[in-house]
Amino acid sequence: MNRLIVLCIIAVTTSLALAETCQKPEVSASAYVTEDATVLTNIAFTTQFTLKCSNGAKGVSLYAEVEGKTLPAVRLSADNKYQVSWTEDIKKARSGDYNVNLYDEEGYSALRKAIRNGEDPSSVKPLAVVVLNNPGAYLGPWINSELLAAFLAAFVTYTAFSAKWKLLS
Amino acid sequence: MKYSAVLLGLAAILAIGRCEDEVNEAAHLLVSKQILNRYLVETMDIVVKYTVHNVGNSAALEVEITDNSFHPDNFAHISGELNARIDRVPPGTNVSHTVVVRPRKYGYFNFTAAEVLYRRTEDAPRMQVAVSSEPGEGLVVAFRDYDKKFSSHVIDWAAFAVMTLPSLAIPFALWYSSKSKYEKLSKSTKKH
Repeated sequence: MNRLIVLCIIAVTTSLALAETCQKPEVSASAYVTEDATVLTNIAFTTQFTLKCSNGAKGVSLYAEVEGKTLPAVRLSADNKYQVSWTEDIKKARSGDYNVNLYDEEGYSALRKAIRNGEDPSSVKPLAVVVLNNPGAYLGPWINSELLAAFLAAFVTYTAFSAKWKLLS
Repeated sequence: MKYSAVLLGLAAILAIGRCEDEVNEAAHLLVSKQILNRYLVETMDIVVKYTVHNVGNSAALEVEITDNSFHPDNFAHISGELNARIDRVPPGTNVSHTVVVRPRKYGYFNFTAAEVLYRRTEDAPRMQVAVSSEPGEGLVVAFRDYDKKFSSHVIDWAAFAVMTLPSLAIPFALWYSSKSKYEKLSKSTKKH
């Protein structure tokens, strides 16, 4: 759990008149991205968050949009606790911040409509945004230490012999 | 004999057809459980991915994935929960759920299936029970063994360098001191 990164949360308030929708959503999230990729084939991005609404709305269906992909937020055992997770190939996963835009049912259908009509998806305001940071996967050492040792040994041998030849000649 | 086998095959096809007729307009889920690891190592991440494919022609509702195979005594749960609910899986789509765990012990471990409950139609009276695919048995390697094989061995090589240093440094120092002595001598003889 030492690598658990609690990230900044930007709650975007949306003023919607419907009773079932979440008003003034507040999201507190924890995230985990696998860092040591030496034993893995895919990098896993996972974030868990609790949604708090000022009007006490519960059981809201949430959807997430990350890097142009849409995926439903999975509900966890606790009330109003959700998880968004996905995996990516090690070679394709870029390092840096990933914005997870969260939408409710209404926002999600608006988002899908925008994508279908070829409009800019960012025009649809998300309910909240969770930021996941991928510091970059560790793929092993840059240079093998045995290779480095061999190079050093060769260098020492070369300098010693060249000095010897200089003395003898 | 052959004839009866053909008949039996036909009957089987008919049975499948009838089954399909009965479940018309219902969700049908296929669930896979994958371990996305090259090696399973003690105290290192194991990525478990559950993917729910809906191959039916109606949305699956209240899909619940429960995996009891990672006992907290044997595995530390790093991120993601082993009990997850998905409200709706539309037909022809898939939804995935990822969990990261770390084994506390090494040795052979049998990765068994996860259980899935879902409603095939909106007015289905009962929940449909399904099981995911089984990744099967895997060997969790002890961290010490893994480290022996794959670590960069920087400390080992540094120790080797320190140990070889005297046999190089002492002759060099002797040679250097004698060289500087003779250089001084030759310089002083030139002056005279």
